Order: sequence, then C-alpha cells, then structure tokens
Amino acid sequence: MSDAISQLKSLMPGCDLTFFGGAPYVFHCHHYNLFHDQSVDDVLGEEAGFALRSRAAREAFRPLLAAVFDAAGATLPVERIELATQIFAALGHGRPSLSVSSDGTGVATGTHLHYGFAWREKYGKQVKRFDPVDAVAAGFAAAASELAHGLPPGSVEGTEVNCVAMQHEQCRVSLSRVAPTPLAEPLAERMMADYVKPPQRGLWEDEVAAIADGLRGFLGGVAGDERGLVHAFNVFVTAHMANYYNETIFESVRALEERSPAVVGAAESLFREAGHVCVFNTFGNIILSPEWESMVEKPGDDPERIVMSCLAIARSLGFGHWLVPEMKVGERMVMRTTTNYEAPYYLHRYGRSAKPRCYITTGAALAIAVLAHRVKWSESPTLDQAYYDALFRGDGLGWEAEVTRDQTMGDEVTEIVVSRR
Amino acid sequence: MSQTTLERAVEDVGPLRAVFITAMPDCLLYDAWERAEDGFEVEEIAAYFGDLVRSNRQGLKALGSWSSDMQVTIESAESLVVIREINEHFVCGCVFERSAPLGMVRLQMKRMIERIAEMLPQVEAQERPRGVRLVEFVSRYAPDPHAALMRISVRTGLTMEQLEAAEGLDADAVERLESATKRILGLTQLSV
Repeated sequence: MSDAISQLKSLMPGCDLTFFGGAPYVFHCHHYNLFHDQSVDDVLGEEAGFALRSRAAREAFRPLLAAVFDAAGATLPVERIELATQIFAALGHGRPSLSVSSDGTGVATGTHLHYGFAWREKYGKQVKRFDPVDAVAAGFAAAASELAHGLPPGSVEGTEVNCVAMQHEQCRVSLSRVAPTPLAEPLAERMMADYVKPPQRGLWEDEVAAIADGLRGFLGGVAGDERGLVHAFNVFVTAHMANYYNETIFESVRALEERSPAVVGAAESLFREAGHVCVFNTFGNIILSPEWESMVEKPGDDPERIVMSCLAIARSLGFGHWLVPEMKVGERMVMRTTTNYEAPYYLHRYGRSAKPRCYITTGAALAIAVLAHRVKWSESPTLDQAYYDALFRGDGLGWEAEVTRDQTMGDEVTEIVVSRR
Repeated sequence: MSQTTLERAVEDVGPLRAVFITAMPDCLLYDAWERAEDGFEVEEIAAYFGDLVRSNRQGLKALGSWSSDMQVTIESAESLVVIREINEHFVCGCVFERSAPLGMVRLQMKRMIERIAEMLPQVEAQERPRGVRLVEFVSRYAPDPHAALMRISVRTGLTMEQLEAAEGLDADAVERLESATKRILGLTQLSV
C-alpha cells in the first residue's frame, strides 16, 4: 500500500474509532463474520439476505475506493480495477480477479475469498451449503466496477453464481447493470462529531490506552498474504467496513420488527451472541498469542487483568472507547462506552431508538465477564467450538447482562451491568 | 435393564470396550456399559448411533436392499465399532479394541446380541411428537449448536417458548420447523 493510501487511515482521538478514506472500519475475525452473515440470512432468508449484504458492501466500500483512487491519482479504469483488487486483498478479504467491461458488466473470480474460503474451512466438513456466501465480494466488485467506469451509484449488481462454500472450485461473481438505486448516505468520519461523546477514564485507564496504542500499531502493519488473507492470532482477520456490519444488522432487525415482531427477541439474541463469538474467538486468541505475550504479558487467571486486556483489544480493533468504571471480581462488572461503532450509525440513519440497539457491544460485555472469570488462561486452553459451547451454551453462562443506558436511545453513554446469576 | 444385567450380557467378550443401547425412534440412551473410565459422553453417543442406524436404514431402503438384521461396521484408527438393530425399538452399538480380529468380533457380537435381546423389555414404543424430535435433531447437529434454536425461531416465526414446548406445534408449524432444519443442516430430506 503506497504512502498516499496509507495516509488515508486515521484514528479519531479519544474515541478509538478508526477510518480509512473517511469510512469507519473495524477488525473482525472469520468466526464473527460468518456468524454475522449467517444471522442476517436466518432473519431474511438466503436470497434477501444476500441482496442486503451485497448492497451494504457496495455502499460501504464505495467511499473507501473513491478516496483511494483519488489519493493514488488513479484515473483509468484499468488502474482503478487493479488498485481495488490490491486494497481488497490488503484488508484480508481475498484476492479476486476482476474483469470488467466499459459498461460495468463482467466477472470477479477467486479461490480464497474470505467468506467462501473461511466457511469451507469452518463448516465444510459438517454441513452442505446450498447458497453462495460471498456477498461482500459481490458488493465490493460492483462498487469497483461503478467507480472504475464512472457509473452512477447502485447501477451495478454482483451475483455470486459459484462459490467454494458450495464445493465449486472457485467463487465466481457475475456483474450486471441494474437501474440505479439511491444510496443511503454512508456514515463518514466528518459526520462523527454529532454522535461521539467526550472520553471518560475507567479502571486501569493508562495501561488500557498504552496497550491499545501498541496493538493498534501492530495491526496497522498487518496485510493480506499472497491469497489476500490475513491469518493471525489463529483466526482469519479482516479489516472491514463498520457501515456494512451496522446496515446489515439494523436493516434485518427492523425488517423482522415489521414482519414477525414475536421473534425479534430471538434475532436480537443472535446478534448479541455474535458479540460473544467475537470476544471468544478474536479477543481470546489475541490474549493467547505469542505476540500478546511479547507485547503485554503471558495471560494469567486474574479476572481484572483479562478485563483490562479485553478493553485494550476492543479499542485497538476500532470498536470505540470502551471502559470499565466499576468491577467487583466474581460478582459484578460495569462496562461503558462513550463511543462505540454501532450507535453513531443507528442515530445517523434512523434517529433515536425506543430500545437498546448496541447488540455487539452488549454481547461482548457479557462475554468479557465470562472469559475473565471462567477461563483458565494459565493453562493455555484451545478456544474451539466445544469450549465455546461449554462456556456459553444454555445454563453454562452463569452471568447476565443488563443494558442500563444506550446511546442509540440518546443516552450520553452505553452502559451494561454484568452480574453473576 | 440394570447396569448389572448389561454387565452380565457382555462378560467374556474380552476386546469389548463399551456398549450403548439406544431406544428408538427417539435415539435416547437406554443403557450403557464401559470397561474403563474412557469418559464417553454416553447419551450423545447413543443418540448418534441411533441416528446412524436410521440413516443407514433409509439408504438401504432406497437401494432396495434393506433387511431387518443389518449391521454397520466401522473400522477407525482407534477402535472397531459395530452397530446393530436388535429390534425396531432398540439399537446396540459396541466398541471393540482395534486389534480384535473382525471374524471373532462378529461371532462375539452375534452371541452378545442374543443375550441382550433376551434381557430387553417388551415395549410398545410411543413415538414422541415430530416437532420435539426435530428440535432435538437440529440442536444436536447444527454447526453452531448454541444458536440453533434462535436460528430456527427467526426462520420460522415460532417463538423460543413455542420451540421449547414443541409437542404443542400444529402441522403448519412442524412443516416450517422441518424446512428450517433442513436448510440449517444442508439436507434435502430428513429421516427423523
């Protein structure tokens, strides 16, 4: 990535939000990504789920690609397509081969697109899949095609016709022209001032901030390998557009509120569960990694140290300014965010909510308490599905979370009180 | 059948490591015996063996070669597993030492099954409601088991409370449940 493009990355001081070309981005691992997309499809069905996810990806990647093309002085279609491919790979999403005609139609292929490849690795030996998974690549390719040829937003659509998750040899996305659709104005860095709040200091504040800075620096140097994948901390990591995650979650929950209000609670539980999946896999594997040991410490069994570590990790991943103002080991933990990556999007797009909507943050708070109190870190456990089930399935949880304040409702902060049952 | 009774049925079968008796059609553990403390999850294993026999039965019927005395033999790296349908109500799964000669295992299996069959009660099985069996099936085999019921809920429009009391589901709800189960498990048909 050239210096001009690297300089498009920025950090909003005090908020721990990260931006690329003005677009908010965060890091998530393949366990989270697959669970997130699966939950969207569960709510909407595969066809409508893919349509929403590809549209959200197209909308989320457009501002980033436009900024990159501008910074690199890439004016020719061929330059733009090549640069787009490089960016996608650098972010850990795979290295597609894009072939696009001047009318915007074409194909994108790849054998290691993040979602398809990761799905096959994680689930391929357990279940068959009837539907393609690479909506993000489809939306990205559509955005790249539109911008390469100066086409109106929403005028190219990507449809995945082959997918390695369906046991095809390679993924293949077909790009076709459609009637342009107006895009929702994407949330951007310049709009954030309306939604972020002044940072507060929590327990272990100086140490949390210092570790977050160090880990952020480390993550800044991470880039896709020859496949365009980032394999780090025992997971496949992506730098991904926060607008993608937010649009897909909020649009699916709101669609369910219209269609089937009786089961909205189950959908909200699924997205909070996605927060558990994220903390268990990404946070947990970072804490167990050799990099963490060399940068911070070998993990031990002190719950406060694990909570402190998780806060630092959340901030470094671009999740926002997470803090714990109060903790009584074994009994209670209060987690607060003065900024998180969910609330600004909701407020920007829909206005105030009548109920709490920071699903990932809430699920993560509960998972942090569980990881801090129930995992024997000193024994270097393997964080696999069986262990996840033992910790989080059914009554095994042992802890419960209550949202006492939520920024999507207009509150000053989001606050989750996690207590032992 | 008490543990003592099953122990008597398997005595003299030297290379035998464990026996699992599964009650059909619900694939519930009826009884189990282990030679050593292998730490088997006996209820799960009994359920898997029951499902295996059921799937095998369906497959053989599709081939037109099913018979009631079929036997499944699995030679894995660690053990030799033989699963046999004793009658329509019970399945017996036996785990032998891997080094045991197959011919001897078959002979011992035949004698042991006869003894176990005599000890099993005469039952009139009452099939549980299909909704209940579907919920158990998807909870057992879904790739993210912790989320299985929530996934089914949003896919079917059935609340978690309805799914937890699945014996009360009507035909339409069971059909939706079956459709969602197949979708989550990547199956075109279910032999539940």
